[in-house]
Amino acid sequence: MDRTRKKSVKRYFDYSLLFVTIFIAGFGLIMIYSTSSYTAQMKFGNAQYYFKKQLMFMLLGFAAMYVAYRIDYHVWHKLAFPIFICASLLVFALIPFGSEANGATRWIRFGSIGVQPADVCKPAVIMMVSSAVCSYGTKLKKFRYVMLICILTGGVEAALVFVISNNMSSAIIIFLIAFVQTFIAYPGYKIYVALTGLVAAGVGGIYAWLTNMIKGGNMTESFRLNRLLVWINPENYASDKGFQTVQALYAIGSGGLFGKGLGKSLQKLGYIPESQNDMIFSIICEEIGLFGAIFVIIVFGVMLWRIAHVAQNAPDLFGTLLVSGVFAHIAIQVVLNIAVVTNFIPNTGVSLPFISYGGTSETILLAEIGLVLNVSSKIRLES
Amino acid sequence: MKNRDEGMVKTYHRKKLLVSITCVILALLLISIRLLYVCVFQSSYYLEKAQKLHERERDIKALRGEILDRNGVVLASNKTVCTVSVIHSQITQPQEVIQMLVKELDITEEAARKRVEKVSSIERVKTNVDKETGDRIREYNYSGVKVDEDYKRYYPYSKLCSKVLGFTGSDNQGILGLEAKYDAYLSGTPGQILTLTDAWGVEVKNGNEERDEPEKGSNLYTSIDINIQSYAQQLAQKTLEQKQAKSVSIIVMNPENGEILAMTNEPEYDLNNPYELNSDLLISSTGTSKMDLLNNMWRNFCINDTYEPGSIFKMVTATAALETGSVTLNDHFTCGGSAIVADRKIRCHKTTGHGTQTFTQTVMNSCNPAFIEWGRRVGTERFFEYMGKLGLLEKTGIDIAGEASTIIHKQENVGEVELATMSFGQSFQITPLQMLRAASAIINGGNLVTPHFAVKSVSEADGTAVEFNYEIQSNAIEEKTSLMMKDILRQVVEDGGGKKAYLEGFSIGGKTATSQKLPRGSGKYISSFIGFSPVDNAKVIAMCLIDEPQGIYYGGTIAAPVIRELFENILPYLEIQNN
Repeated sequence: MDRTRKKSVKRYFDYSLLFVTIFIAGFGLIMIYSTSSYTAQMKFGNAQYYFKKQLMFMLLGFAAMYVAYRIDYHVWHKLAFPIFICASLLVFALIPFGSEANGATRWIRFGSIGVQPADVCKPAVIMMVSSAVCSYGTKLKKFRYVMLICILTGGVEAALVFVISNNMSSAIIIFLIAFVQTFIAYPGYKIYVALTGLVAAGVGGIYAWLTNMIKGGNMTESFRLNRLLVWINPENYASDKGFQTVQALYAIGSGGLFGKGLGKSLQKLGYIPESQNDMIFSIICEEIGLFGAIFVIIVFGVMLWRIAHVAQNAPDLFGTLLVSGVFAHIAIQVVLNIAVVTNFIPNTGVSLPFISYGGTSETILLAEIGLVLNVSSKIRLES
Repeated sequence: MKNRDEGMVKTYHRKKLLVSITCVILALLLISIRLLYVCVFQSSYYLEKAQKLHERERDIKALRGEILDRNGVVLASNKTVCTVSVIHSQITQPQEVIQMLVKELDITEEAARKRVEKVSSIERVKTNVDKETGDRIREYNYSGVKVDEDYKRYYPYSKLCSKVLGFTGSDNQGILGLEAKYDAYLSGTPGQILTLTDAWGVEVKNGNEERDEPEKGSNLYTSIDINIQSYAQQLAQKTLEQKQAKSVSIIVMNPENGEILAMTNEPEYDLNNPYELNSDLLISSTGTSKMDLLNNMWRNFCINDTYEPGSIFKMVTATAALETGSVTLNDHFTCGGSAIVADRKIRCHKTTGHGTQTFTQTVMNSCNPAFIEWGRRVGTERFFEYMGKLGLLEKTGIDIAGEASTIIHKQENVGEVELATMSFGQSFQITPLQMLRAASAIINGGNLVTPHFAVKSVSEADGTAVEFNYEIQSNAIEEKTSLMMKDILRQVVEDGGGKKAYLEGFSIGGKTATSQKLPRGSGKYISSFIGFSPVDNAKVIAMCLIDEPQGIYYGGTIAAPVIRELFENILPYLEIQNN
């Protein structure tokens, strides 16, 4: 009797999400090799230096993905708070142990492996928000409680990351993840529409103010304000602050419709510094052109759609929120990264999920997909 | 029940997710449009900028045009030479490479070792290695040894016409002589290779190369005749040795159009090694810097230096005297061995005096007191006028740089004594070529030509030719004066001071000179002779100058025979028939 019942319940598994993930990760690996081999050969005498490291992290990531898939996601309900605390401590650990690069402290080294606490914070916040929302119960009908959760989890973590590691982009992403999760948790719309309107007006105002300032011609000392000025007219600062942006535009522009062919980018030959990192999408455009780039965007779209599908059909609210968090994480980074590379928004260091070089990010993202797959496996298909 | 309700996914959650995914898809669409805009509408703009960033230009030397004589014989051409370099990081067999370099390049083992073992990106071992050696080194096939080919100017006749042709510098640019003057024609247009490079300027392997082929310079056809030039040069060299002179110059020109057939100033230098002093100069060099010695070695006396022309100049005085009517052919002059001018006594070279002479005889005897009289009759003003008419107060306009200017008293400062000495070619200085040009005008019917070498430049690529035209001032003097002068100068050779230039069977005219070098009394002379043939219709005029001959120094005795010997050979060659 027991057996027949078990047999009759069909469990869902989102294969398309798995395949899309494998495809993007594989494609990312190819692009890592393409973008980094020349400079790696020059710097380390080993063309596969970055490729091998990334491959190692990818294998680790797939292992983590499998583990996350095998663990029942309800475990995270109870573990969320300790994980959240650990992630925060890891950020604090940057103060004594962090290694500095380009004026920001973002890494903790364990031997040859560097870990970016900001990346660890993202799943920690995803779990924490989901757990908190499920614990508060009916109070969530009130907006101020939702806001409180958002600020106490995402807000606090984002502030830590911003203050300690001077990493604004990660802070924004962390906060936005929490914001999207609470948006899904809260039933109302009006307040969000109002917020969106406010933000849009603010951005418009700043843009107008900046264009006026450029007409005035005074470039101020502020690092972040300069970034905004560079954004509006990158070629005026091409030799300096706008260098990366302009070089990325050169790459995209020279790719044209069909690109120069895989491996044939010239901009990766030192013109775009560390092109395997945040600016990798510009090399994708240069090598496989607009059509290739749009195809990559479509694949990301499919991935996000599959994740959203799992979130919608999750057996309980905790699962929905967890998967929504992963959805927000990937969506925000993809959109921000491509918008930066095409100079649609001011330059800020956001990596392209599954494609940009970076061990922590790759491992964490694959583990998050494992989490989504676990949630998907709990969906019951009722005939 | 309550708990379960809170754990449920409600419709509004699903709706919110739908809103979220819609927003994300809209955002992706938006950035795709932005991407489309950059890739399509700004593509050519960024592509061009990127290309400029990636491309490096590397020049390809253009082959220099050749210099040819009037018969098409190449006087200056190009030779392939090699540069041998070693690249430290690529050498795998240092010992073998060192031994090979020692053997092939004729350098010491120490020098080779120093180059091979030096840690540098590329180390030049030897330049100007001939092509055969370069090819042999290539055949060893040692890694890290690089042989680059390049072109170098090559002068097949080394010393021939060196002071006229000039040479080129390390960038193949003309430095002296015709090479410098016609550099724009000879140098051609360098080509370019556009290579793709990385951000550090290193060429990308297998990158597309765009080549813009270089265009060879135009060939320069000159009026030089290699046969006459080499004969004149041999003759000058022989005379130099015989007379132990400082230098011997010979110019051969067509008096009708100014084309120079030969110009030599022995000692000449090796054009293939222009920075190597020729031994003759080394001996007399103490205390002067090498650069001064080199400059001296490269000097073309016929053009770059002035001298007192001496008795040859009497042609000019005689011409002025005849044409102004100051003197007729029937006038006589009695020479007593000296003349008193103002408070000064000026001696004739024949101290016993020439006695009574006709005008023609005064030229034949080159009698100084007579010419003092002819000059006095012409007068300062007309004297200067005729010097001007015969081009002696201006540069000749020859197509080689560095012509010296006439050194002469200001007309208003010329008194009796100055006029007297000028009448027989002293107390002013001109270049030998100015003198030859004036003589040409006197004997060619009165036309002042522009002496020159370059005739035309022809582009090998498209065959287009540029002809060079030179000014001829016709009727500088009257033709009838020219006729009289030719007859007088014929008699100078037949029975006067220029007897030694007489050549049986040819009609030759001429005039000798023995110029005292300054300061007077130093015992240094320049002996010279100008001869032309045939007298009635001169096709060739030649001048010989012997600077500081030892022993006999009379122009009529030592310079006239040189021109006779020259004419003996070149007149038949030029098909100038004997009468």
